[in-house]
Amino acid sequence: MFFHIVLERNMQLHPRHFGPHLRDKLVAKLMKDVEGTCSGRHGFVVAITGVEDIGKGLIREGTGFVTFPVKYQCVVFRPFKGEILEAVVTMVNKMGFFAEAGPVQIFVSNHLIPDDMEFQSGDVPNYTTSDGSVKIQKESEVRLKIIGTRVDATEIACVVLFANSNLDIACLISPRKPAY
Amino acid sequence: MANRGGKGSYPPSKSGASNGRQNNSNDVIHLSDSDSDSDDFFEEEAPPTHSKSNGKASSDSLKTGGKASSFSNGSKGGKAFSAGKGGKGSASNAKPAMSDAELKLQLDMPPNSILLSNCEAAEMLQKIQGHMAILSEDPTIKIPESFDKAFQYAKEGNHFTSAKLVKEILEPLKDYGVNDGEICMIANIGPETIEEVYALIPSLKATRSINEGKIVEALAALANIKASK
Repeated sequence: MFFHIVLERNMQLHPRHFGPHLRDKLVAKLMKDVEGTCSGRHGFVVAITGVEDIGKGLIREGTGFVTFPVKYQCVVFRPFKGEILEAVVTMVNKMGFFAEAGPVQIFVSNHLIPDDMEFQSGDVPNYTTSDGSVKIQKESEVRLKIIGTRVDATEIACVVLFANSNLDIACLISPRKPAY
Repeated sequence: MANRGGKGSYPPSKSGASNGRQNNSNDVIHLSDSDSDSDDFFEEEAPPTHSKSNGKASSDSLKTGGKASSFSNGSKGGKAFSAGKGGKGSASNAKPAMSDAELKLQLDMPPNSILLSNCEAAEMLQKIQGHMAILSEDPTIKIPESFDKAFQYAKEGNHFTSAKLVKEILEPLKDYGVNDGEICMIANIGPETIEEVYALIPSLKATRSINEGKIVEALAALANIKASK
């Protein structure tokens, strides 16, 4: 789900950036450091929507860098337990399949795909049920329900199941770009 | 299945906190210092085990119920459940495996956060994209790939023509036992029938006697503003 949230971060700036455009430099650095990152607590930071406040700078002893507390608003995306995600399959192989739901990538292992869905190799690899009624291939849309999450510093692990099915699938949802 | 070590299960949300907004005096999240060379974005202590993941989550620590819940009733209604070429995964004969309480949406965001549905996020990101286009002319500024992905996801997940109208239609459901998270899920999924709603959001079944009529009215109103795709 998407959230609009206020976060605060201490930004350090080298004295060479001081001058009439100090605020712009701080905001540019904030965007560069934060946008596209993922934290286990807030999820993916999609975009910064505004800067609420930049506090007074504090010179750090020994280095000369100045630390500014910056309060900013941003849009974040994070999966939650009980949430339903509509994901698009991006790759299918004999190990399982990858799907994407926005900025998060979901891997579904073949170990947890039911036995009645078999991997079919070929030009368009896919998983198909024995009666051929359901086929999961690239560009397929799948609806996944998250039934458990665990957060780490830079990624979120989720257990999902296909909504409206009895499939129980464990996967790792990880960001496209590491937090650092 | 590789064990990531320890039972690092996500702490359960507080009772009554399924609402995305909470009354709390703390309205700012304080993060650790940043460095010009390193990033220290995450401010909370992570679980003690940090073994390298092999791409698979531990089934022991994450699986809570072991079996899927029953959605068979909802599977019979609505186009969303039909299987077709590249279509969505459909239902087989589901057996109840997880209780409705276990599948309840557990939002655990800071109290100052505002929940956005896909349609609201799409409109917000659309405006930001306009600014980003200007910024992208500067070669030193790179637009993150995640922005495009999130924007695309929000647009494709937006089933309606106007976020404002969606909000006006769904907001009154709060008076009938539907919380913010559930309203957001209804807006994001775009269900067509009441059975689909209860199948995908089983927590609403607890107050079915109160909310069924109102949800049916809301679905009818939403059908009028559904975007053609």
